[in-house]
Amino acid sequence: MATFLAAVRGRRAPAAVVALIAALAVAPGALSQAALLNVQDAIGLALFACATNLLIGYGGLVSFGQGAFYGIGAYTVALAWMHLNTSFWVTLVAAPLLGAVAALVVGLLALRTRQLYFALLTLAVSQLLYVIVQQQESFTGGADGVFGPMLPSFLLSSGNAYWFTLAVAAGGLLLLWQIARSPFGMTLRAIRENRERAEALGVNVFGHQLLAFTFSGFFCALAGVLSVVWAQSANPNLFSWTESGYPIFMAVLGGQYTFLGPALGALIYEQARDVLLASFSDSQLVFGAVLLAIILAAPDGVAGLLGRGGRLLARRWPARTAGGQRAAAGTAAAAGAGAGDGVRRQDRQDRHDARTGGQQDRADGQEDRVARS
Amino acid sequence: MGTRHRQLGRDLLRRALLPAAAACAVLLAAGCASSSGGTTPGGSGASGSSGGTVDIGVATTLSGPFADYGTAGLDGIKLAVSQINARGGLLGKKVTVVSGDDQIDPATGETVTRNLILNDHVAALFGSVSSGVAAAQEQIAGEYHVPIFFHIANDAGLTTKTFNKYAFELSPNTDMEPAAAALAFAKEIGHGPVRIATITPNYDFGIDTVAAFLADLKKDGVSYTVTDQQTPALGATSFTSQLSALLASSPQYVFVGQYGADLVTLTKQGLGLGLFTKAKVGAMYDVEVLQALGAQAPAGAIAWDRAPFWTGSSSQMQAFVTAYKAAYGSYPSEFAIIGYSAAQAWAYGVTQAKSLSADSVVAALSGATVPTVRGDITIRSCDHQAEVSEATGTVASTVSPSYGVRLWNPGAVSPSPAELIESCS
Amino acid sequence: MSHYLITFLSALTEASSLFVAAAGLTLVFGALRIINIAHGSFYAFGAFAATTLVGSAAGGWRFWLALLAVPLAVAVLGGVTEVSVLRRVYGKDHLAQLVATYALFLIFGDITLRLWGSAARSVAVPAVLAGSVTLDGGEFPVYDLFAIGVAACVGLALWALLQRTALGWRIRAAVEDRELLASAGTNVPLLFTTVFVIGTLLAALAGVLAAPLASVAPGLDASIIIAAFIVAVIGGLGSVTGAAIGALIIALFNTAGVLWAPAWEPAFIYLAMIAVLALRPWGLLGRAER
Repeated sequence: MATFLAAVRGRRAPAAVVALIAALAVAPGALSQAALLNVQDAIGLALFACATNLLIGYGGLVSFGQGAFYGIGAYTVALAWMHLNTSFWVTLVAAPLLGAVAALVVGLLALRTRQLYFALLTLAVSQLLYVIVQQQESFTGGADGVFGPMLPSFLLSSGNAYWFTLAVAAGGLLLLWQIARSPFGMTLRAIRENRERAEALGVNVFGHQLLAFTFSGFFCALAGVLSVVWAQSANPNLFSWTESGYPIFMAVLGGQYTFLGPALGALIYEQARDVLLASFSDSQLVFGAVLLAIILAAPDGVAGLLGRGGRLLARRWPARTAGGQRAAAGTAAAAGAGAGDGVRRQDRQDRHDARTGGQQDRADGQEDRVARS
Repeated sequence: MGTRHRQLGRDLLRRALLPAAAACAVLLAAGCASSSGGTTPGGSGASGSSGGTVDIGVATTLSGPFADYGTAGLDGIKLAVSQINARGGLLGKKVTVVSGDDQIDPATGETVTRNLILNDHVAALFGSVSSGVAAAQEQIAGEYHVPIFFHIANDAGLTTKTFNKYAFELSPNTDMEPAAAALAFAKEIGHGPVRIATITPNYDFGIDTVAAFLADLKKDGVSYTVTDQQTPALGATSFTSQLSALLASSPQYVFVGQYGADLVTLTKQGLGLGLFTKAKVGAMYDVEVLQALGAQAPAGAIAWDRAPFWTGSSSQMQAFVTAYKAAYGSYPSEFAIIGYSAAQAWAYGVTQAKSLSADSVVAALSGATVPTVRGDITIRSCDHQAEVSEATGTVASTVSPSYGVRLWNPGAVSPSPAELIESCS
Repeated sequence: MSHYLITFLSALTEASSLFVAAAGLTLVFGALRIINIAHGSFYAFGAFAATTLVGSAAGGWRFWLALLAVPLAVAVLGGVTEVSVLRRVYGKDHLAQLVATYALFLIFGDITLRLWGSAARSVAVPAVLAGSVTLDGGEFPVYDLFAIGVAACVGLALWALLQRTALGWRIRAAVEDRELLASAGTNVPLLFTTVFVIGTLLAALAGVLAAPLASVAPGLDASIIIAAFIVAVIGGLGSVTGAAIGALIIALFNTAGVLWAPAWEPAFIYLAMIAVLALRPWGLLGRAER
């Protein structure tokens, strides 16, 4: 454990993530076709969820309308094929750009509002697009959506489609990762923690949030393109507020305070949904119950749970070597001092663990809101 | 500086390592779970038989506003299967029904359908409520060579635009249904000229139905003027503004494209506005809508239904109704009946082909005449559309003595399929 | 021309339904600062319970019983929900609260499907309210007039509650400044539960009231929550008067849309919501939050 920590310590790229990508890359050989398609779907959704989380977890902006950009990405491919017979490779580039432009426009309008009203406005935008797309049958194919051979033959093989999705999603996630840990990302988190203080420090809050919104729109649209690769069609449901809710739930499920948390949430959700749809007719009930349990018991999501578990382990088994001791001390220090986002929250969560009870939680929440307002 | 790096590194670890490790674990678990669910890959027409059983998959809508239709279809199929098993099964194998809920979402429908094919190795599929989802399912069934039977979704595009040889449509489609409605209206009207208004849900099905209806009406020799056309949203809770605008144009006849819960709402609100006294209305007044309306069912209104159980007198239908009521406690809607007949059709195909393989079953059914609870049905070889009828009649003013529900007046008509659909060229 | 009166009255009926449904939602948000998506589920419970109690046989005394008993029963459910689940999410951020109430919405939706099945149901109008009045331009159902009347009474009752009773004073104080109220010695948790119960009662009442006007089928919870949301937002979250105005605006908007631009009518409410949120997010009568 200590040597592993020591090995990773020096490097920038988390080795485990590389291992994960390697594991995913060999999946076509190992998994059955059905499982492969599920994983492919999950990978696309992971990009969608992480792109949304740039706004939610990092920016503190709960947008209930990312489905709008997801749908724009998908429909750019579908409609360009339907009306102009454009090649997929062209629309692959065009779709995220269109998503970014749309996000810029929506952001200009929506970011003037705060918190809840922002969520409602983005929800309204998403629903508006949903209604329009359903309605303008001749242009958009209406409620049934667009079907047809819109993918290039290269992507018709399931292996190729899978690797393409993995490559695009990994690339997208890498870019998002860079954005998140750049100074821009740090400033975004600072704004989330305390907007007034950031403003007082001279930060252009609106500009930062708008840029984050645009980035998110870009990558959500890219995820939309991946959804077309998976489904070989586009349908208006992609725009609805229930679709916009999925990446939010995945972020909550997996953990909105870690970068890959939403991706984990996407994977879990995808697998769980399959099991639920097949075995239960009460899938809604189970999904609702799980969500509620997460909110009440583990608001940091699965990643948060793992994080807490990991730190508990690290404290129980400090390494023997000198370097290891420093590592253990460092971990504890980091946990205590709070380097970077999410740790403050987890820290408070730790204190809360020690003194259980909803009272403490509410007090924290009060504190939190007072700090924010 | 080094400490900063260390702290940042640890931060990275915590933020990326654990979720990534967890993701690995989930993937592994998923891989194991799915591969153990079904080891042999698809191939062409995997028969889905292991030992003495064969699975069939029903991928339909089991939740949300249209759960009713999907559940009814599933119930009809399950009843057929239980009767087949009681008679010794199919080719000596017991048939099992595996179902999945598509939640009326095409993406979910695709996942469910694929899982049924790849994990459960179903020998046949029975499709969704919505035509959008159905089209997606049709694509997948064609890709994996599994026969798919549509018993609820009836968009004409399923047998034309998105058609492949593995698809079968057992309902009267969106060309045939309005044609039957037009014939019913023409019978009432004569040659006209009359004033007609239409109200229909604002999506493909609704709009196409009205357009086809008006065109067919003209073909039936009726001269008319359209006074108003309303298109409320699907699932709207209030039709009052649309209805009063409609009535203000003084139509003599009104064509209603709404169905199910929407039709119940529209009828109740229409009653309050005097719709049924001011004009002659026609809509899909099937047993579900009539049961919900009860005493408020509009007597004398023109009605159509894809497979009403009370109009014919075949003993097979009577036996089916009794069995269905005993099993599920209610009368079968047209979707249950068509679902039942779809299962019968598949079983017939298997028996004729003496094989479960998709290509043999498809070949056996193409152009065949299948005996079903709805009578003998011919499945056209050109587009696998079943040559069926759509029954039309008028809503009764009294409760039916045999069934305890207000149904239709006697004298319901079922036009011959040839009157409803153009022949294959 | 002459049917405009009927059209206007039917818009009023729609507004009445929307008002009673949205009033509870806005009150709960104002005092508790929580967006209760499960509000739609309580509405649906009210409507479905009414179908069981009244049925489609010409309803007589059963309807009146349903109007009184069902909201009370559902209100009890609301109270239980608040105490067991919602108390644990008050301190959390908006997202957590939204997700929690959405989770409840999913759970309740499934329970509704289990209890009442998926078929469409209908509630018959009580005999004394059946039939229509002939007005200039056409006929208008008596029951619709009744619904308008009930909504007006509910509005008056809420006004009286908020302006003239000690409880109402406390609720308004909670909307204004919660922390101050706690330090003034009020039992805040009890107050919250009371407000939530009132909100649930209103939701279920709206459900029973609206049941004879339309069909009762799965999906009712989703359609009403969106409409109620929009009305509450436009009127200003926390303001009951705002809900009344918002309901009128939305109903008239919808009606106008149907008459003059039917193809775009479904988009109108979202356009209205976007416009209000962009220009004046706290709604017409809400308080500007920082």
